[in-house]
Amino acid sequence: MPDGSYERPQQRQFNPYSENGGTILAIAGADFSVIAGDTRQSEGYSIQTRYAPKVFRLTERAVLAVNGFAADGNMFVKKVKQRLEWYRHAHAKDMPLRAIARLIQTMLYAQRFFPYYVYNILGGIEEDGTGAVYSFDPVGSYEREACRAAGAAQSLVQPFLDNQIYFKNQTPAPGTNHPTHLPLPDVLSIVIDSFTSATERHIEVGDGLEIYVVLAKGRSTQELASIGGLQELSTRAEGDRMFVIRRDLKKD
Amino acid sequence: MATASAYRSPGFDFSNEIRNNFLSERGVPLPKATSTGTTIVGCLFKDGIVLGADTRATEGPIVADKNCEKIHFITDSIRCCGAGTAADTEFTTAMISSNMELHALSTGRKPRVVTAMTMLKQYLFRHQGQVGAALVLGGVDATGPHLFTIHPHGSTDKLPYVTMGSGSLAAMAVFEAGWRPNMERAEALDLVTTAVSAGIFNDLGSGSNVDACVITASHTEMLRNYVKPNERVQKERSYGFRRGTTAWKSESIRQMVVEEDITFIAPEAMDTS
Amino acid sequence: MNSFADRFSTTGTAVEQRRIKEYVADEEDVSDSMWGSEAGFGTIAHGTPNFMVPTVPDPSAFLRLHTDDHADPSCRIKIKHGTTTLAFRYQGGVIVAVDSRATAGSYVASGTVKKVIEINPYLLGTMAGGAADCQYWETYLGMQCRLHELRNRERISVAAASKYLSNLVYNYKGMGLSMGTMICGWDKTGPAIFYVDSDGTRLKGDLFSVGSGSTFAYGVLDQGYRWDLTDEEAQELGRRGIYAAGHRDAFSGNTINLYHVQQQGWKFIGNYDVSEMHYNGPTGTAGYGYGVRVEGRSSANPPA
Repeated sequence: MPDGSYERPQQRQFNPYSENGGTILAIAGADFSVIAGDTRQSEGYSIQTRYAPKVFRLTERAVLAVNGFAADGNMFVKKVKQRLEWYRHAHAKDMPLRAIARLIQTMLYAQRFFPYYVYNILGGIEEDGTGAVYSFDPVGSYEREACRAAGAAQSLVQPFLDNQIYFKNQTPAPGTNHPTHLPLPDVLSIVIDSFTSATERHIEVGDGLEIYVVLAKGRSTQELASIGGLQELSTRAEGDRMFVIRRDLKKD
Repeated sequence: MATASAYRSPGFDFSNEIRNNFLSERGVPLPKATSTGTTIVGCLFKDGIVLGADTRATEGPIVADKNCEKIHFITDSIRCCGAGTAADTEFTTAMISSNMELHALSTGRKPRVVTAMTMLKQYLFRHQGQVGAALVLGGVDATGPHLFTIHPHGSTDKLPYVTMGSGSLAAMAVFEAGWRPNMERAEALDLVTTAVSAGIFNDLGSGSNVDACVITASHTEMLRNYVKPNERVQKERSYGFRRGTTAWKSESIRQMVVEEDITFIAPEAMDTS
Repeated sequence: MNSFADRFSTTGTAVEQRRIKEYVADEEDVSDSMWGSEAGFGTIAHGTPNFMVPTVPDPSAFLRLHTDDHADPSCRIKIKHGTTTLAFRYQGGVIVAVDSRATAGSYVASGTVKKVIEINPYLLGTMAGGAADCQYWETYLGMQCRLHELRNRERISVAAASKYLSNLVYNYKGMGLSMGTMICGWDKTGPAIFYVDSDGTRLKGDLFSVGSGSTFAYGVLDQGYRWDLTDEEAQELGRRGIYAAGHRDAFSGNTINLYHVQQQGWKFIGNYDVSEMHYNGPTGTAGYGYGVRVEGRSSANPPA
């Protein structure tokens, strides 16, 4: 129209979501838990940053990995941490892992009609000293599992984990059984290989790898001694111990 | 007697078009073609042309080929880098290569780069962008070195340094900063390598290795995998499977070797009668 | 179109949203209840929970745009769907059987989902449709059932519990909730099953199956169901029903979870791998499907 107005009403779509690539993964052992994520953040064909952590320490024995829309993810982690701090002030202790899992469910479901576009994986040590992994969908349905991959390369990594952790499609040798839990060095190797492979075949995965390892109270740290790029995060040597392993991934 | 017509019209077969349009309206998407979300570059130097390309081919976010060849042969002294739909670039350049050879045979002269460029742009324009080929064409002929870009709709540019594909912005940044007229061969090759590397590392659609091709009046040198900055890392574990890993429901072993008894018969005297 | 009427109405979703907005503006998301106790249910222990709603003219269309993978397979937020669940009443109680597969489009997101929600020791709920909707509201129902017990000094009836859930989801009708559930239990009236879904339907019945594989399960159930089934027969029927769905429906499968509700409360019978059932059966001696299909039909296994 000459006066600058439009003949027909114009409709605009409100799209507050975006997808920032990357992959996260967690595996629970008998008395430890490993939570890992790559550090690339991308949008479309562009890399926004080569180092944007997706895995966060929540308590001495809980780690949260967040994947999907980075803005929602960072906000969500911030709010979870805030609620955990309030819990600490009210109860003078850290929230137990299974309670954190339920908290995350209610926080996600509170946004049922305006969801956080995030896939969460929570890993850590339960009150009984066992390693645990909880996985969530964007609106809060969750379950406890032994392993879970989420994010861009989920469909590449999860089948590999099913085969190597759950021994899917593998018949045990006659007279033997598959182990229910793998030892820590095996788990770490599987995690590293998952990410190097995902980096080769998925364009949104790469740059760096952060692996958080949570060990139950009293467990030996011997198996971690030979690992390169290790850093301890726990403040006390007694109690549960937490470590982070940082590795490079291909940058193309 | 039913006789199927042996005649098929030349060129593309459009017989599935109506069906496919109907399907995409119903929400069934067309299968995704392999695309070379690519970095391809070319630049002029003192004695000729240097072309460069990365080697990653993608299907959506998945890397389909980690070491594909994107610098296609046109003639001995003309090469063409392809970006866009992999099949389109491959077949278009192969067809033009054939036509160039026929052209050379019928004229008895070495064909010129503009000839290839004109053939390509006319072909692409005829198909109105439906043939998704974005090309960098370079070579040296009787009139000197030439470098072109050809867009999928048929438009062309003639420039001293060019880039195309999803990594073109990253690569062009390098050229804009570093290109000078009358560079030496080594300098030009270096600049092309840096430009393609910028695409490889900063564009998710490009990756793996650098291919380069140096064309001068006397000689063409194809430098396949000229730089390999992204070698595969060693895996932590080996993933061999024990014999008997696959489950089976029943087992029966049958003798497949046919036993053969050979009985020698007493030799007979040769009939010499 | 109805915005004028909506603005001044005192019922319906528009009011609900207005109230929610007021709540959000009023308290942000910081309230006393968030300070710790109340088991993470801080926000909902004080009455009906409140939900953040996007400030757009049509919030449910917004939600549909971003989450409904039937209308748009490329939408960003994939909510898990696809299921087979069944429950039936018979002389010995209620049998509840479900599969364990969660799919997001054509991807099997999980093969280990617990689709039977243990509301309390006498009540079970099944999960079909949105996993989070079922998990969250049936957990919430569990809290309300406990409050009912404390207030009335007796257990809630299955009818009342299911009606509580039905009324609750009816409040959110049209907002995009997706659940099809069977509330199963044993109360003063004996074994009972109620089908409740997010449209507001609530049905009492003897035999239900819900989910994408329900037709296959009904096929097995209808030919094998009798009131006077023994416990073993009933459990076997439930298992076979889910097996049939797991075998024929691409969106169901992985494993079967089997529950039996009796007067003393529910009992978990077992977890059975669908493929294991196909080849070897629950006892490891006779498979449900493989043997009858191939016996005498391959050259490695010739007819006798």
